[in-house]
Amino acid sequence: MAKWTESKPDPDFSQVLAPDGTVDGDAPVDEETMLRMYETMKVSRRYDEKTLSLQRRGEISILSRSWGEEAIPVGSAAALEEGDWCFPTYRQTPSKLYWGGPLDRSLAGLMGHEPETIEEHLPVPDEEALPVNFSPVYIPLASNVTNAVGSAMADKFEDEDAVTLSYIGDGSSSQGDFYEALNFAGVFDAPAVTICHNNQWAISVPAHRQTAAETFAQKAEAAGIPHERVDGNDVFAVYEATKRAVDRARAGEGPTLLECVTYRVDDHNTADDAGAYRDESQQAFWAERDPVDRLEAYLRSADLIDDAAIEAIEEDADERVEAAVDRAREVPADDPARIFDNHLQSESWNERHQREELRAEQRGENPFTDFTGEGL
Amino acid sequence: MSAEYPDGETSEVNLVTAVRDTLAQELRRDESVRLLGYDMGPIGGVFRATEGLYEEFGENRVIDTPLSENGILGTAAGMAMRGQRVVPEIQFLGFFYPAFGQFMYTVSKMHERTGGGFEMPLTVRVPYGGGIKSSEYHSESTESFFVHTPGVRVVCPSTPAETKGLLAASIRSDDPVMFLEPKAVYRAGTQEVPEDDYTLPLDESRTVREGSDITVLSWGARVRHAEAAADQVDADVEILDLRTLSPLPVEDVLDSVKKTGRCVIFHEARRTLGLGAELSALINEYAIDRLQAPIKRATGYDVHFPSHQTEEAYLPDEQRAADAIEAVMSYEY
Ligand SMILES: Cc1ncc(C[n+]2csc(CCOP(=O)(O)OP(=O)(O)O)c2C)c(N)n1
Repeated sequence: MAKWTESKPDPDFSQVLAPDGTVDGDAPVDEETMLRMYETMKVSRRYDEKTLSLQRRGEISILSRSWGEEAIPVGSAAALEEGDWCFPTYRQTPSKLYWGGPLDRSLAGLMGHEPETIEEHLPVPDEEALPVNFSPVYIPLASNVTNAVGSAMADKFEDEDAVTLSYIGDGSSSQGDFYEALNFAGVFDAPAVTICHNNQWAISVPAHRQTAAETFAQKAEAAGIPHERVDGNDVFAVYEATKRAVDRARAGEGPTLLECVTYRVDDHNTADDAGAYRDESQQAFWAERDPVDRLEAYLRSADLIDDAAIEAIEEDADERVEAAVDRAREVPADDPARIFDNHLQSESWNERHQREELRAEQRGENPFTDFTGEGL
Repeated sequence: MSAEYPDGETSEVNLVTAVRDTLAQELRRDESVRLLGYDMGPIGGVFRATEGLYEEFGENRVIDTPLSENGILGTAAGMAMRGQRVVPEIQFLGFFYPAFGQFMYTVSKMHERTGGGFEMPLTVRVPYGGGIKSSEYHSESTESFFVHTPGVRVVCPSTPAETKGLLAASIRSDDPVMFLEPKAVYRAGTQEVPEDDYTLPLDESRTVREGSDITVLSWGARVRHAEAAADQVDADVEILDLRTLSPLPVEDVLDSVKKTGRCVIFHEARRTLGLGAELSALINEYAIDRLQAPIKRATGYDVHFPSHQTEEAYLPDEQRAADAIEAVMSYEY
């Protein structure tokens, strides 16, 4: 069977942390931030491992993971500040983890619970609200980017100094919504930073089938907005570039598109089999550029961690994930009538009636016996 | 109805294989047939409905595109205007929405607005419907949007043999066709399907079983639940698989309801302005004096398709169909 070929990306992107974990000069973040970046990536890995095993056991239906791409969500999220906004897709769980996002709620979502059930059984008290605001994860590709630009426009019109960050995949940058979003961002000088994960694959379709442009960053040219290309496996480079873009946006200087060059190490999702369409010999090349190993090497050489510290961080990650799984598992089965919740603010005949029908069905009664419209 | 199945060799295939085999047959038969969509290359689509076709027919006949539904539909329309017979694939019905612009502006209207000057021979293949416990937007059954649009056919098979005849007819038709593939039954069972070419009419229903007490109108993945319900109730049930949702096989529907005097419409889409609403209105307009009971609609509810823990409560199953049949049977004026 013909397999798509892929090319190693041109290393014409900015890099701070070399693949061997060395940094030329100073690291761009303080020690506390570095450790938080590292811990977040470790928790994310553990979460990815655990969710995969839950998927295999049938507790979760379908799953797309962040493995190998963690530097992008973590490095970029670290450049945000309190009050900023973030519009993620399914591959940026680590952004939210970085800001303290609760794992149990994400797990309960993967387990197929209704959002109302999750809210009821795993509530987040006001005092634990995250400093950075997160939209729900988007499934329809690229629709988050237009919303994010709208969010940024709202801040601009209201004279707020918040910045909105959103993410898109290389494949999703082919969607009309993406171009439309960039165009609006440019016209309205919106404080919007858009990050393209160029992980080189959109399910089975390679990046060179998405665009004939040399880079994804270039797509910003037509919208008249600045763009940069960075090493997406280098958490410091992602941080630095995002920070520049965020600072510019906050200073009223408008939007930026960043392309972060990385590789989707894993299958697209648990229903996919990447070996069927791509040449997996690239894996070794990318394993040497693993974002977690890279940061770990740096932290070791800077004497910020040692074997014992790493072990402690891993144990802690493990405990956090296990505890979250336990809490998510305790969420009781959804009341089926939940499906009617939160559609409209007021009641309607149809809604009342259909709720009644469902209740009757659940009690084993016949829901079709109303022949007058007056109820069962 | 006239199911014209050819004699000769048959092979036992499931619905998704019937799709694949028919696409291969049509690609071989007519040089102008082209498939386009993303993930059609080496993996042959996320449901493997185009498996092997890229290898057999090459990248200019089985075209892997950028990830853009509106781009796919718009370029398909342009190709169709230039004499190609195009079969775009949209990965899930819930991701058709970005393509609505091209669907409304060109696909459904170009033929009419040019006084018949431009043909639009394209068949949009879309896996549709729930029951696979997937994530958001992977379970839509919004066929009403398409049925509500003039200038397009909407076709929905429920068996492998129908799939072959209806898909071939759709591809050969000069009209744009929305071909809705009930993915819950892609691999749910097999059937002997003739190996030779055949087409089935694009405006007739299939009588799944004849009966004298009540008509059940259904389509897609729900047909098998209608059959199970018919086995369970104390009534002689006639089941029509509409299979062509637009234009509707009105005569088939009216003939059946006039014969039985009762009707249940059974679909998984939301109820309000779901296709059941139209069917019920038609029967009221043209057969009210033959009705012995009100028509009931056993459907999904007027909600967004729920999370996978609750989707079973949403989806109408054989029990819901049986309840509706029994309620209608028990009604007396
Ligand atoms: C509008 C829309 N079309 C199709 C899909 C189905 N789908 C989900 S992920 C995906 C591939 C996305 O690739 P890319 O944008 O490169 O992101 P990656 O998964 O590689 O991070 C597709 C086609 C979808 N979710 N939304």
